[in-house]
Amino acid sequence: MLQMKNVSKVYRTDTVETHALREFSLIVDEGEFVSVTGPSGSGKTTFLNIAGLLEELTNGTYELDGRDISSLSDKERSRVRNEKIGFIFQSFNLIPELNIFDNVDVPLRYRGFNAAERKKRIVDSLELVGLASRLQHLPAQLSGGQQQRVAIARALAGEPRFLLADEPTGNLDSHMADSVLDLLAEINASGTTIIMVTHELALATRAKRNIFVRDGSVSDGAPNLHLATATG
Amino acid sequence: MELGPIWRAILRNKGSYVLIALQIAVTMAIMVNSIAIMQERSSQMGRPSGVDEDNIFTLKSVSFVPDVDKRALIDADLDMLRSTPGVIDAFSSNSFPLRGGGWSMGLQLEPGTGIDGVGTAIYFSDEHAIDTFGTNLLEGENFASDEVTWNDEESSQWPGTAIVSRALADALFPDEEGSVVGKTVYINDDNPVKIVGIVDRLQAPWDGWDNVENSMLVPSRRDSDMVRYIVRTEPGYREELMPQLEEKLAENKDRIIEQVRTMNEVRARSYLGDAAMIKMLSFIVVLLAGITGFGIVGLASFSVSRRTRQIGVRRALGATRTAILRYFMIENFIISGVGIIVGGILAVALNIVMVQAFSLTPLAWYVVPIAMIVLWLVGQAAVAGPARRASNISPAIATRSV
Amino acid sequence: MLRYYFKLGALSIRANPALSALMVAAIAIGIGACMTMMTIRYIMSGNPISEKSDQLFYVQVDNWDPSEPYDEPNEPPVQLTYLDATALHGAAKASRQVISFMSMRVVEPHGEDAKPSQIEARATTTDFFSMFNVPFAFGSGWDKSSDDTNDRVVVLGQAMNQQLFGGEDSVGEMITLNGESYRVSGVLDYWSPVPLFYDLNNNPYNEPAQIFLPFSVAIAGEHDRSGNTSCWKPIGDGGRAALLASECISYQMWVELHSDAEKQDYLQFLDDYVTEQKTLGRFPRPLNNRLNDVEEWMEYNEVVDEDVGVLFGLAILFLLVCLLNTIGLLLAKVLRRAKDTSLRRALGASKSALFTQYFVEASLIGVGGGLLGIFMTWLGLRGIENLFNEFDFIDKLVRMDWVMMLAAVALAIVSALAAALYPTWRACNVTPATQLRIQ
Repeated sequence: MLQMKNVSKVYRTDTVETHALREFSLIVDEGEFVSVTGPSGSGKTTFLNIAGLLEELTNGTYELDGRDISSLSDKERSRVRNEKIGFIFQSFNLIPELNIFDNVDVPLRYRGFNAAERKKRIVDSLELVGLASRLQHLPAQLSGGQQQRVAIARALAGEPRFLLADEPTGNLDSHMADSVLDLLAEINASGTTIIMVTHELALATRAKRNIFVRDGSVSDGAPNLHLATATG
Repeated sequence: MELGPIWRAILRNKGSYVLIALQIAVTMAIMVNSIAIMQERSSQMGRPSGVDEDNIFTLKSVSFVPDVDKRALIDADLDMLRSTPGVIDAFSSNSFPLRGGGWSMGLQLEPGTGIDGVGTAIYFSDEHAIDTFGTNLLEGENFASDEVTWNDEESSQWPGTAIVSRALADALFPDEEGSVVGKTVYINDDNPVKIVGIVDRLQAPWDGWDNVENSMLVPSRRDSDMVRYIVRTEPGYREELMPQLEEKLAENKDRIIEQVRTMNEVRARSYLGDAAMIKMLSFIVVLLAGITGFGIVGLASFSVSRRTRQIGVRRALGATRTAILRYFMIENFIISGVGIIVGGILAVALNIVMVQAFSLTPLAWYVVPIAMIVLWLVGQAAVAGPARRASNISPAIATRSV
Repeated sequence: MLRYYFKLGALSIRANPALSALMVAAIAIGIGACMTMMTIRYIMSGNPISEKSDQLFYVQVDNWDPSEPYDEPNEPPVQLTYLDATALHGAAKASRQVISFMSMRVVEPHGEDAKPSQIEARATTTDFFSMFNVPFAFGSGWDKSSDDTNDRVVVLGQAMNQQLFGGEDSVGEMITLNGESYRVSGVLDYWSPVPLFYDLNNNPYNEPAQIFLPFSVAIAGEHDRSGNTSCWKPIGDGGRAALLASECISYQMWVELHSDAEKQDYLQFLDDYVTEQKTLGRFPRPLNNRLNDVEEWMEYNEVVDEDVGVLFGLAILFLLVCLLNTIGLLLAKVLRRAKDTSLRRALGASKSALFTQYFVEASLIGVGGGLLGIFMTWLGLRGIENLFNEFDFIDKLVRMDWVMMLAAVALAIVSALAAALYPTWRACNVTPATQLRIQ
């Protein structure tokens, strides 16, 4: 479903050239639950941005559902983000002035669904994450775990091709983290592809396949996973 | 269109938005009324005086040596003026339109005391007045030269004939179908005055007077120490002749020649206050538009930078640049809209207050809607820059760790 | 600690130069507009003789038309007839009284090249100078005997004395007015009351007359009256004599009364006089005598130009817009830094500490705006002077005295505080936790 081939990203300033990604290749099939792991500075955030079409790649190709989306116009990229990708951010990124209903509504508005369709999707996805009773609440009135679940509902409401999660449990305590990860597992079980970016090895074990990133490319040597699970 | 969420978000941040809306509202109230006043003054200033302003100049002659034959002096002066090549005509009087000072009387339809009259300005004149003023004789005839007499100081009797302005004739006989030439009115309670002619338009000396269009030419000449000459030249000759004639008249050292002014100057002096008021108000309007415009730019900029992260997230979730632009334009539209509507109400309220307190004319119906549109455009223009900046915010901000 | 806040405030201002400039400019312009109009209004409605303005009273008696009042609803005429002015003045029932009118005279300076010019002269009686505290540089006014004997005596204003005698002591010198000789009995010091409270019938902001001569001399010499004359009844034949005997009003009268008792006495005297005149067939209207002191008289005559009132009202609203503008911008600026605020709270700052910090910052803007506003006021006054420079009197109206300066500063401070209050209060009421948790 998703294919990145020899993708590289170079940041150029007047004085410095940073190669954030080098020759990065990745194939993700439908229904997979993939984690992309690496230490800070390894390029995983850059990978995330490129995978999520938040930034343009410098070299290489990126195909989604057979379509080359490496060099689309900004308008087309926005469209792809809106329809094909569901984001889950570390810092939830809910809009503070909007209530839960309106927050989940945001991507749907850009989709052009009519009011009835939007409402149905919002209620359904909030039910899925168990927050259908909190429609009118503001983000500030929810716990961290609940906020992240709203974010997940937001990501799901548009029936994206895959969820792209960035440290989804980074701001949560272990109890909430577990429930969020359970939720993700559930979602994956019902067929949604998930790509999760994280630096925590313990988190990575919850995914079905692990990719390691080091210095901008996929690394061959994997750190000691068993050690991580034993302690994590 | 995300009107619902935008509106709800506005409601949750009422403080700032109320301030802008209020600012727009008060701005509108001030602008609308300022423009109304400017319009009113402008149309006041545009009223023609009825005389050939571009070719007339006036001056004052003050005799100060006792035992001077003032009648001979005035006659000699006028002869000299009239015979100067380039001068169409000249005459002497107590005043002229827009001078700011003069004589007024009341005219009655019936003789007797205690009867209401119509106010009019009085111009003592002779048969040269009409040609000198350049006003049109619509009906009747000009004075005959033997009809014009020198005023007898001892007598309080008014001459029996007069030429009146159209407006005065209409004010005296509002329901009359035909000509009122030949009709008699009464001045000074019981002196009969027969109307022998009607001129098109001749304003009184006081531009702010309710009866400014009412004036009467009286066939009587006064030989006071202080007399005013009105001179009309052929087109193009005035500039050259004015200093020439002033010098000539000033050769006589037994009197002073003063206040030599073109009719255009007389008008400018008369309306100086109004002209200044228009300038001051336009200054206020421009400043106000600037302050409110820039204020909106500033507020919109802050608003955008405060929501940078939110904008990035929206972009990440699929909003196009245009969608972000539209969001801010709509938000501003709503806030400006509220401000403009409240402003319209305030403007009308302020106008009512001013009409009561300062005898302003009420607003014309189209002023408020036009002001609304203009201010709305100013608001949208002001927000365009920050909105554009907002639309250029990169979606990658969403993944940046805080 | 205050210094720390000043530093923070200055840093914050420097971080947003354009917006800070906009805020300061907005307040400055608003204050400039307001203070410009307030200054003019203040001068126009000033009381130039406040030290005794409550002892000077303008006399009005109602000799007007029985079928309608001089002015609605039932106002007596604003000047007196010759008969009444001379009779009341002659009765001398007040501590001091003065009658006057304005005439035009031609003054002929000595010397070959000197050109004669027509000037305003005030024909008045001997008490004028003492009643109105008119300052003399040389000599004095004429005494009562001159009033009675048609003595051709004159008092010169400072400017006229400068023009005719180069500013020297000219007491005893002769001048020529309309071919007649007058003896100088006194020269005034600089005297220019604003407004010309004692004669509001003409332009109240003109310079006072530069020549003062006795009332009786002007009447006997048949000087032409300048100023307004109104008549409700035809004058009848007889030329000048008829005019003086008529019901036409041309003359102003002021009396000096030192207590309320004196005022009541004088009102009674006026009533008695009018009642007596009624028996002679005059004063067909009911008794309607008035005694207004200087301030009452100025208000009665609506000395402040209507346009000034309108502009003043608009200027206040303008200032309101400027304040709303600044408050809005300050609020936005402060809310944008909500995280900063919360951080400080988390690190131990109390609500009042934050209040002080933001208040100081906002006040910097406010004070800056205020100071610039004083300059703007000066600019505004110069602008108005320019617009009206055809009229000589304008420079008197656009001067800023220390009272107005103080008012400008006070207005600036109040505006600054008003602008600072709401945003600061909002800033401090943000719960730290909320801000640090939600982005």
